[in-house]
Amino acid sequence: MKISYKWLRDYIDIDLDAKTLEEELTFSGIEVEAVEELGAILNQILVAEVKERQQHPNSDHLWICQVDNGNEVIQVICGADNCEAGKKVALAPVGTQMGEFVINKAKLRGEHSFGMLCSERELGISDNHDGIINLAGDCVNGEKLSRYYDLSDIVFEVEITPNRPDLLGITGIARDLSSLLHREFRLPNPELPAGTKPIRAELQLDNQAIDLCPRYTARMIKGVTIAESPDWLKRRITAIGLRPINNVVDVTNFVMFELGHPLHAFDYHLVEDHQIIIRRAGLGEKFVALNDEEYILADTDLVIADSKKAIALAGVIGAANSQIQSSTQDIIIEAANFKYSAVRRTSKRLAIFTDSAYRFERDLSDMQAELAGRRCCELILATAGGELLEGLLDSYPEPEEPVIVTIRPSRIKKVLSINISQETITNYLESLGLKQLSNGEDSLQFEVPHYRKDLSREIDLIEEIIRLYGYNNVETYFKPQKVMNYEIFRNKRNLTDSLVKLGFYEVVNWSFAGVEDLDKLRIVERDRRREVVSLKNPLGSSFAIMRPLLLPDILRNTAYNLNHNQKDFRFFELNKVFLQGAGKQAEEKYHLSGLITGLRDAIHWREEAVKTDFYDVKGVVEELLSLTGLSGIEEKYSKETWYQPGVGLDFYNQGKLVASAGKLDPKVASSFEIEVPCFVFDLYLDTIYNEKRKIVPDFREIVKFPPVLRDLSFLIDQRFDLAEIAADIRQSNPELISKIILFDEYKGKNVPSGKRSLTFSLTFSSINKTLNDKLISKEMDRIVRSLEKKYEIKMR
Amino acid sequence: MKEELRKQIEAARTAINAAERQHDLMQLKSQFLGKKSDLNGFMMRLKELPASERPAFGKIVNEAKQQLEELINSRLLKVKESEYAAVLQAEHLDLTMPGKRNIRGALHPITQTWREIEDLFIRLGFQVADGPDIEDEYHNFDALNTPADHPARDLSDTFYIEGDVLLRTHTSPVQIRTMEKFAPPIKIICPGRTYRNDNDATHSPCFHQVEALVVDEGINIADLRDMLNYFARELFGPEIAVRIRPHFFPFTEPSAEMDMVCPKCMGSGCSLCKDTGWLELGGAGIVDPNVFEYVGIDSEKYTGYAFGLGIDRIAMLRFGITDMRLLFNNDLRFLRQFK
Repeated sequence: MKISYKWLRDYIDIDLDAKTLEEELTFSGIEVEAVEELGAILNQILVAEVKERQQHPNSDHLWICQVDNGNEVIQVICGADNCEAGKKVALAPVGTQMGEFVINKAKLRGEHSFGMLCSERELGISDNHDGIINLAGDCVNGEKLSRYYDLSDIVFEVEITPNRPDLLGITGIARDLSSLLHREFRLPNPELPAGTKPIRAELQLDNQAIDLCPRYTARMIKGVTIAESPDWLKRRITAIGLRPINNVVDVTNFVMFELGHPLHAFDYHLVEDHQIIIRRAGLGEKFVALNDEEYILADTDLVIADSKKAIALAGVIGAANSQIQSSTQDIIIEAANFKYSAVRRTSKRLAIFTDSAYRFERDLSDMQAELAGRRCCELILATAGGELLEGLLDSYPEPEEPVIVTIRPSRIKKVLSINISQETITNYLESLGLKQLSNGEDSLQFEVPHYRKDLSREIDLIEEIIRLYGYNNVETYFKPQKVMNYEIFRNKRNLTDSLVKLGFYEVVNWSFAGVEDLDKLRIVERDRRREVVSLKNPLGSSFAIMRPLLLPDILRNTAYNLNHNQKDFRFFELNKVFLQGAGKQAEEKYHLSGLITGLRDAIHWREEAVKTDFYDVKGVVEELLSLTGLSGIEEKYSKETWYQPGVGLDFYNQGKLVASAGKLDPKVASSFEIEVPCFVFDLYLDTIYNEKRKIVPDFREIVKFPPVLRDLSFLIDQRFDLAEIAADIRQSNPELISKIILFDEYKGKNVPSGKRSLTFSLTFSSINKTLNDKLISKEMDRIVRSLEKKYEIKMR
Repeated sequence: MKEELRKQIEAARTAINAAERQHDLMQLKSQFLGKKSDLNGFMMRLKELPASERPAFGKIVNEAKQQLEELINSRLLKVKESEYAAVLQAEHLDLTMPGKRNIRGALHPITQTWREIEDLFIRLGFQVADGPDIEDEYHNFDALNTPADHPARDLSDTFYIEGDVLLRTHTSPVQIRTMEKFAPPIKIICPGRTYRNDNDATHSPCFHQVEALVVDEGINIADLRDMLNYFARELFGPEIAVRIRPHFFPFTEPSAEMDMVCPKCMGSGCSLCKDTGWLELGGAGIVDPNVFEYVGIDSEKYTGYAFGLGIDRIAMLRFGITDMRLLFNNDLRFLRQFK
């Protein structure tokens, strides 16, 4: 629903800025979905005067006007014919933002124009677009138009939850704000003139469906003049997005949005026999609505009828046969309440969704109907004239009983954890229109006003109290503490789960080791890993220290299993290693180490059995590092002493060693009684988890344009590493080259010794265009030339 | 020109009917019906004819195009059908030959059990706390209300590094460190590796423990019993009951030892439970107020419970492992059983 700020101020004195009001509304439960500023344009528009004008030499419908803007006389080209000299006009100067576009200096068919003269529609004053606006003669040149036309308003689009039909009128919002902001609220409560002759003599009312229509009131006004609504009325309803129709219809709409209660007006002379009958529709009864559609009714639909025909589909839409016309003189004003379920059923079945049905199906108040009718009469008399008939017809056989609710402060404390005094409770609830009936030790009794049908239980009142108290003003006391880093916890599980899927068995070894383990790994004396933690009372010399590496144990497990006829297996262990720390606190760090030996895969009839090699263990490390979220890994040949020289690789991230992998040196292997090739790796988990990592991937738009693939094959000297070559290729155009795959390496026949042949598959793709052959060929040439220059490659 | 057209159509029909592959048909389609096809050429040459003959001839050409198109489409269906039949013919497989599976390893049974335990607590809002293996006497003994002359501090029970530095004999120091750092409410478990100077068939010098600690207002022995029952039932099944008996630990008061119904015989007595129907699970109790004093928690305002048990032992019970040494042998013939 839309709320006009100016309109709102008719019922409550507030001067909050739009932002503050938006927050107040939202945090009281009336969520503001959009805020729109009206009439701001008039602050940019100036009053100006046409000094002289002449026909445009190159156009028969344009005029060249010399316009006094209060400061100087400027030239403006105008397309409207009513821009005669001497007229006061509205000038949009150069730079004015008119909706989507900006007024610029322009040249129209060869003549300069420094601004635009505006129509009423362009200014948002009315729908009139026949020529430009003519201002009153006493408007002062150069003044802002907003001084003469105050259209400024702020419109809030709010979401009203289904439990609060009382907020479907602007007064309902004002009432809620008044209790929130402690401001006085003024509800219209008009007194009508006594009236001429009694309505009973002119109109009969027969309510035959009390269950679906708990209340029906009708009032009559004779001798109205149907005309355009006065400006104030048009402005109110246009601000909230309605179109003015005529004074009577506009008033019924106005009151619906003011009080939240829909009304309907009938032309008295189109109501047959001057009878209003409220009845269920006949099965198959035909009904032509105001929208000129014909509907077939069911016997569950409620209609307002005269002696011959239905004149309205109760609470949903009026009939075409009795609507207000320009010739209408005498009118009946219906203000009623209909059973919400019946209105909803009819509206849904016939797919007629009106502002009226929207309100009735949310269960309105019987009492409000009478007020709405009274208010409507007051405004029709004021805008359309006529004479009110005396009294009203009112079918209200079972008046609503007031609802009484008891609330216990102790319960408030339990649900809301706030301590508030009985006095505050009373203030809160009375400001919402509840009436206190009594108060006891731990119980206060309130009568709920008719328009708050959502309040029937203690818990409903408790909700009102917290709404006014402010949800976010509740003091919290349990602050969850981050004892564990769940992300790391989960990542460790991810790593080990992945290793299991890669065929690894986990081993678990004691934390003890012997110094001889370090010797076997050829770790030098000055290596940090020699600063071991020694036990005072060890089980024996092989258990004398806390292990500084996981590898020796994994090697022992390997030797043991090789001795027991196992040949093809993979092991890993995730555990702490220990070193002397600063002071008495030892350094304890998590490592993840592993080993691969034997065949790469289980034996399968379809495939040739292949032995594992370095690239298998490297692949494992690459997979694990990518799982940790590290990116930008740098590789360097390793100096770890247990790798076969030249077949060990270190992995760095931001200059920090995070992993290594390689082939176990055969001599080292022998010292652990292993005589087969083994490939081992080691991840420095604590170092990794201290690095900056990408934990949640960044989504990138899927590239719509098809990629282009090209192969690149050349001979190159063996001393150059792939990493460098690939980086150079990518560097030639990082934006276009999305993937570089090494396709093949070949050494041997037809390749000179000391050289190798490399074949790459390059993928080019662009996020914003289709790549053509010419462009790709150019890119390929560039890559080849730069490689030739740096590596002296020979294309194949 | 009509004769030319007739010949052209005849040639097309012959070629289409002879085509055996989808690809060939597509080529014929563009050859005969495409923009640059001969048939289209006839349309271009319409103006060579007298005006009166043009509409009739144009119609003939169009009809011919339509017929050829239909012919191609029906031929295409036939070709697809025969290609499909060829595939069926060619792929005669012995489906009983083994499928291609990726190799897969397994987590160690201790880790599998460890994770089960972590998860059952995490489900109830516990956090997992970690702490050093190499501890000091303060956190391992003093703050746990274990006096200086307590026998547990002997070299025969505890591994020492140097001075007061030692290998933790239980994960309780993690409780102390957590309470030093965080204010109640605290709800943690601390699984971890612990060490005792013991090495025989039923004792490993390195073993694994998990302890739970809950500190808040109003925590009592009923909460402890609820949690023990939940713990045992999540791990061993809904029929398992837990009982606690009075015992002594320096850091809890009242202290208890807990037993659970033997999951093997369900209480009727067997070799595993030595005919008692019960198995000892671990220790439990209400946190001793002295411990709270050490870590600066108001023991009047807060109470707490703690319990601890051996992960290795739970793993053995869960999987029916009889020899503890198997857990640390890392024999593949053992490990492969836990896939």
